[in-house]
Amino acid sequence: MVEAIEIDGVPTLFAPSAGRTAAGLIFRVGQADETLPLHGITHLVEHLALHDSGLSDYHYNGETASVYTHFHLRGSESDVVGYLGKVCDGLADLPMHRLETEKEILRTESRTRGGTSALPLWRYGAQGYGLPSYPEWGLARLRPEDLRWWVENYFTRENAVLWIAGERVPDGLRLRLRPGARRPVPVPTSALPQTPAWYTGDDTSVVFSAVVRRSTAASVYSGVLERELFRDLRQEGGYSYTASTSYDPRGDGYATVTAYADALPEKQGAVLGGFVDVLARLRYGTIDPASVTAVRNKSLENLNHPEIEAARLPGHALNLLTGQRNLTVDELRAELAAVTAEQVYAVAVEAADTALLQTPHRTTADWAGYAAAPTSSECQADGRRYAHREDGEVALVIGPEAVSIVREHSCSTVHYADCAAMMSWPDGARRLIGNDGIVLHLEPAMWAMPYQEIGALDAGVGPARHLPQPARDPASIPRPAAAAPAAAPPAPDGGNVGEIIAMVLLGLVALGLGLLTLPLTIVAIVSGGADSIDWAFLGCLAVLTGLFATPVVMLLRRRRRRR
Amino acid sequence: MTIIPAAAVPSFDRAAPFPEVQAVQAWCRQGDWDSVARHFAQLPTADAVYFNARAVAEVPGVTTFAGEVAQAQPSAILPKLLLGARAIELAWEARTGAQAQHVSQEQFAEMHEFLRFGEERLLEVTARDPGNGAAWAMRIVNARGLELGQAEARRRYDRLAMHHPHMFFAQTQLLQQLCPKWGGSWEAAFGFARQCAAAAPEGSVNALLIPEVHMEYWATLRGADRDNYLRRPEVLREVAEAALRSVLQPSFRPVYGWVSAHSHFAWVFSLAGDHRRAAVHFRALGGFASEYPWTYLGDAGQQFAKHRDLALKEG
Repeated sequence: MVEAIEIDGVPTLFAPSAGRTAAGLIFRVGQADETLPLHGITHLVEHLALHDSGLSDYHYNGETASVYTHFHLRGSESDVVGYLGKVCDGLADLPMHRLETEKEILRTESRTRGGTSALPLWRYGAQGYGLPSYPEWGLARLRPEDLRWWVENYFTRENAVLWIAGERVPDGLRLRLRPGARRPVPVPTSALPQTPAWYTGDDTSVVFSAVVRRSTAASVYSGVLERELFRDLRQEGGYSYTASTSYDPRGDGYATVTAYADALPEKQGAVLGGFVDVLARLRYGTIDPASVTAVRNKSLENLNHPEIEAARLPGHALNLLTGQRNLTVDELRAELAAVTAEQVYAVAVEAADTALLQTPHRTTADWAGYAAAPTSSECQADGRRYAHREDGEVALVIGPEAVSIVREHSCSTVHYADCAAMMSWPDGARRLIGNDGIVLHLEPAMWAMPYQEIGALDAGVGPARHLPQPARDPASIPRPAAAAPAAAPPAPDGGNVGEIIAMVLLGLVALGLGLLTLPLTIVAIVSGGADSIDWAFLGCLAVLTGLFATPVVMLLRRRRRRR
Repeated sequence: MTIIPAAAVPSFDRAAPFPEVQAVQAWCRQGDWDSVARHFAQLPTADAVYFNARAVAEVPGVTTFAGEVAQAQPSAILPKLLLGARAIELAWEARTGAQAQHVSQEQFAEMHEFLRFGEERLLEVTARDPGNGAAWAMRIVNARGLELGQAEARRRYDRLAMHHPHMFFAQTQLLQQLCPKWGGSWEAAFGFARQCAAAAPEGSVNALLIPEVHMEYWATLRGADRDNYLRRPEVLREVAEAALRSVLQPSFRPVYGWVSAHSHFAWVFSLAGDHRRAAVHFRALGGFASEYPWTYLGDAGQQFAKHRDLALKEG
């Protein structure tokens, strides 16, 4: 049985469990609460709060998710008391001397953790639930006062729930947190004008997500989808090694069903086709009742774990924190046992209507009735128009409210008011990311525009959304081909011999040509220049002489400079 | 002996040899859905459903007729199958039979629009009825038109073959995809044709894949290579064996596809100069023929008549 108590004003769930004590303190704040210029702030707070816990070596003691942040551990009663006490103390007074170090650690962590899913970005855009797709771009600009403000708003007594699984509530457990308010989960945004939708990914796999009303039947649907995908794509087709799904409540009465299947490059077409067919089969009600039974039974079996109440505590705490219904084990058992194929079918219809599909690279899903997720803006900015220095098909438009890069059949527009963030480089390059996920990258050297326009952009977006970037290697800055500076690296000493030989040879040719041109010119002048062909010939000779003489002069001057 | 005058051009209408197909086409023109549905319900094989659906799809106005029924009966299979078949007809009409480099962007766009419309309906049919061979066979056609690639076309055939291991019309459609012109290889095309022909029961029409694949190969050759190819003893022997295993078996029945089968055999033997063998197939055809492969030689009617007359005189 789960017991609801309160510790220092924090709602606490306790379930009896043998052995070491497990506990977790969950706050209702996560990446979805951030904005793009602040992205990473929750994660950074989590790291800093853990620093003095004495357990910061074990990163699994902290977790920053989309709508929650979780500090948890398993240990002796005194470990629990010590750890949670230090987390609260850390939050009360973040060790700011560690700020830069922890930022570095987070940057390293993101590099080693590998790619994030692009699905949230395509579904929600560059805000709210879409932010987990983005790198933690806010880290560089976060200052101590930003972190303190974040903690005061979110890491509070009213915005937390504690869970404990153990023999008893450890003696002396204190949670010294600031008072605050319970924060509702963010309202979902949308970057998809139409669903079901698709976009092309950059690998061979197929990834799918759908947003459905949270229910026990929906969790069974996720299990049935996994079984069907595994059977079709792996067991029968042999196209995939992995075919899996997950079911994640979003905290607002809805849940995200995500499915993934990998593929060999030569089989990616078949994986996409097979994936689409499995989704359609469920969507049109061809659901094997045996599949439903198997998933249901597996879920029921999992509930037979002797300490199931304790194992479900983190989920229970999260439900409490987000104001969601929490089922007891008995209620869940009864609901699972009652799930029918018809209920799963109803979820499948909902899933099909909200589907977002990432297809393997160089493939599409328009043939299957999916709409293309937008990769281009609907409208273009009104304003001053500038030409590209190399590409006549493209134009840049900078206006008082928006900026666009316009091509014949597409357009990228970011309205300053709907700009999630703007990366800015010291050389003038700018990259604006719209709330809808549209990216506009501007290389000033490539456009025939006055440099002041960059200032107009900076002012339009406003400093609060600037993401200053470190200076780029000059060689990597794009410039128009014609204007490329001939910044030839100085020749090493070994170049001397070659230079001398070249100078001698070129000089001899120039001398020969000059000796030929001079007497002929004199003859022509003396003869009165009657024949115009002679003049043309002489002109050519003179130009040729110049052509050979010029590099000799240049080489001589360079050698003089070097000395 | 043939009963039609020697100079007569054969009928290339695929419904002509089958009164019941003409009847179902007429019901479609008249908008008699109940009769259409009854007719399809009693068809014995996936090949029969496929053949009838493709024949019905030649009737203009089927999109509206079947579309109305599909709207009234959202979960019904047949109207969507017919919509899918009609879309294939319209798509390939839009594309025209020209080689890809002579098809305009607009023509391709129109083709793809029809194909997507049909594919969506057929996707629903195979989702509701995973054993619907006719729909899977049409989806193999669509995989080619939509350029979904070798692996996907093959997957569609494999899904179909789980229910219908010897569906001839599906095999002949996949064979197209397996040819190099659609991104396949001769190894795959010949391998598939031989495997299907060998696996099918004796007296079935499937061995037609053998003259078909030789015809496809022949069509890629030029000059003397082309002239000599079908005369090569190993080619002629393989085609003759295929004829013996299929249309010349006593157990062979004039199933849908029989006209195409005799046409192909007659064509190969004619071009190989084996008029005696060709005559057998010309006689069996009576006044019917399939346009393919005769169109490869020029005007299909004239070419057919010319080779038939030669065969009947010499053979």
